[in-house]
Amino acid sequence: MPASSGEQRDIGARSRALGVIVWSAFLAAAMATMVCFALLDPQAIAAGEAPHWWTGRLRVYAVGFFFFWLIGLLAATLCWQLATAPRREP
Amino acid sequence: MSACNQRAAGDSLYLAEAKVYPREVSGRFARLRTLSVWVLLGIFYLLPWLQWNGRQAVLFDLPARKFFILGLVFWPQDFIFLTWLLIIAALALFFFTAIGGRLWCGYACPQTVWTETFLWMERFAEGNRGARLKLDQAPWSAAKIGRKALKQFLWIAFALWTGFTFVGFFTPIRTLAGEVMGFALGPWETFWIIFYGFATYGNAGYLREQVCKYMCPYARFQSAMFDRDTLVITYDEQRGEPRGARRRGTDARAQGKGDCIDCTLCVQVCPTGIDIRKGLQIECIACAACIDVCDDVMDKMGSPRGLIRYTTTHALEHRPTRILRPRTLIYGAILGLLMVGFVLAVALRSPVSLDVIRDRNVLFKLTDDGNVDNVYTIRILNKSEHPQRFVLEARGASPLTLIAKQTEYQVPSGAVYSLPLRVRRVAYEPLGAETIVFTLRSLDDPAVHTETEARFLAPTR
Repeated sequence: MPASSGEQRDIGARSRALGVIVWSAFLAAAMATMVCFALLDPQAIAAGEAPHWWTGRLRVYAVGFFFFWLIGLLAATLCWQLATAPRREP
Repeated sequence: MSACNQRAAGDSLYLAEAKVYPREVSGRFARLRTLSVWVLLGIFYLLPWLQWNGRQAVLFDLPARKFFILGLVFWPQDFIFLTWLLIIAALALFFFTAIGGRLWCGYACPQTVWTETFLWMERFAEGNRGARLKLDQAPWSAAKIGRKALKQFLWIAFALWTGFTFVGFFTPIRTLAGEVMGFALGPWETFWIIFYGFATYGNAGYLREQVCKYMCPYARFQSAMFDRDTLVITYDEQRGEPRGARRRGTDARAQGKGDCIDCTLCVQVCPTGIDIRKGLQIECIACAACIDVCDDVMDKMGSPRGLIRYTTTHALEHRPTRILRPRTLIYGAILGLLMVGFVLAVALRSPVSLDVIRDRNVLFKLTDDGNVDNVYTIRILNKSEHPQRFVLEARGASPLTLIAKQTEYQVPSGAVYSLPLRVRRVAYEPLGAETIVFTLRSLDDPAVHTETEARFLAPTR
């Protein structure tokens, strides 16, 4: 790390936005996973109706978490796009 | 003063920031934080090893969908309690913030607590602030590699232990320890240990104050809880200015100076790298390191302590500070009500729950002797700490008979008992469907009983 100079490299608006998007989506995913699997038991789904990867509760929880994270990433990215994009010509 | 503690405009993120080298500090508040670190991390690392009635005392058993907290067993049906608890936690945060400012940030936040331990390890491997600054500027040498390697080893080992402990709250830690020893960890357990370990390593080792400044939602809205009676860490400008160096024991006023000798130690100890003398800033996590170090300096200079101190805006304006004010009273009242309600609700929680699910395939069945049968699946949850025997009865508009393999159900503590059950209505009268009530009673404890309604279907004529 450039300790001696004390100068600051600007990582830019895009990287900054990326950090915020990933982090806020993570928080939302954590919340969604908690609520979703408190209300739904993955094992309660009838045999034969579940997809092949639906093997155990822990696996479904983990897949669910990453699924929610992905949805959160999409939402946050879209939000960033919509919030920053519109620039009218002067 | 070192350049690396100076901050330009704070609109850069993460790696863009210059590294902060917080100077070690000792004093009242540093001791308080050390105590808090030991207590909180002690609880975190030791709690999963505690046993209660032959099982892990605190276990959020996700695979089995049961939460064990000492003598209590919580089921997914008890999710309301978790929500309730989170609301209490949030309100407690509001309440203490309104009174004491960012007490949470300075002493109790996991980010602070783990960063502190990671700093201890860094100090152990690389030395104090001056040594660390020198080491980072020095060219790579065997000694530098050795020190850096030692630090990384300590950090990674501690982070992995943290990840292991974290997973140990969700899956029995003794079994987990056995699996780690035998290299027999399951893929998800391995993944989550590394995931959480990496998060600890990154947050406490590298991101540190950046988490508070850029990632923490609380830091963004905490100012909404502040008012002029909230404790904040403040530099007494009236007393300190104009700052300037002076000889020990000399009278500052006589030289036309304030008490601040501009030693910049308050800047060097700051974990977020701010200068408290510029006034209250959003980056300040209220760790009070600057108070400790300034008190030391004031002692040496023979000036009274408290040039930097915990105080309120009102006190600085020489007006009385009110602890009891509408904000604290309202927060306090809601918090108190919620807490009393929570304790009552948990204490009065029925130790048994009964689910009755109608058989989906058959609406009803007519027997040759003119009776109507409905089939149900009964689920009995024994949430108490003891095994219990239960009896079940059903009542409706006309007499009902229960037809099952047994009449008494033995349910172990924390277990679900599921059985198919046929309910027979003796005659056609009354015609049609009705709502019937199932009553479950414990034979061991007469106070334990519960009721559930269910639909009983029958032909209308």
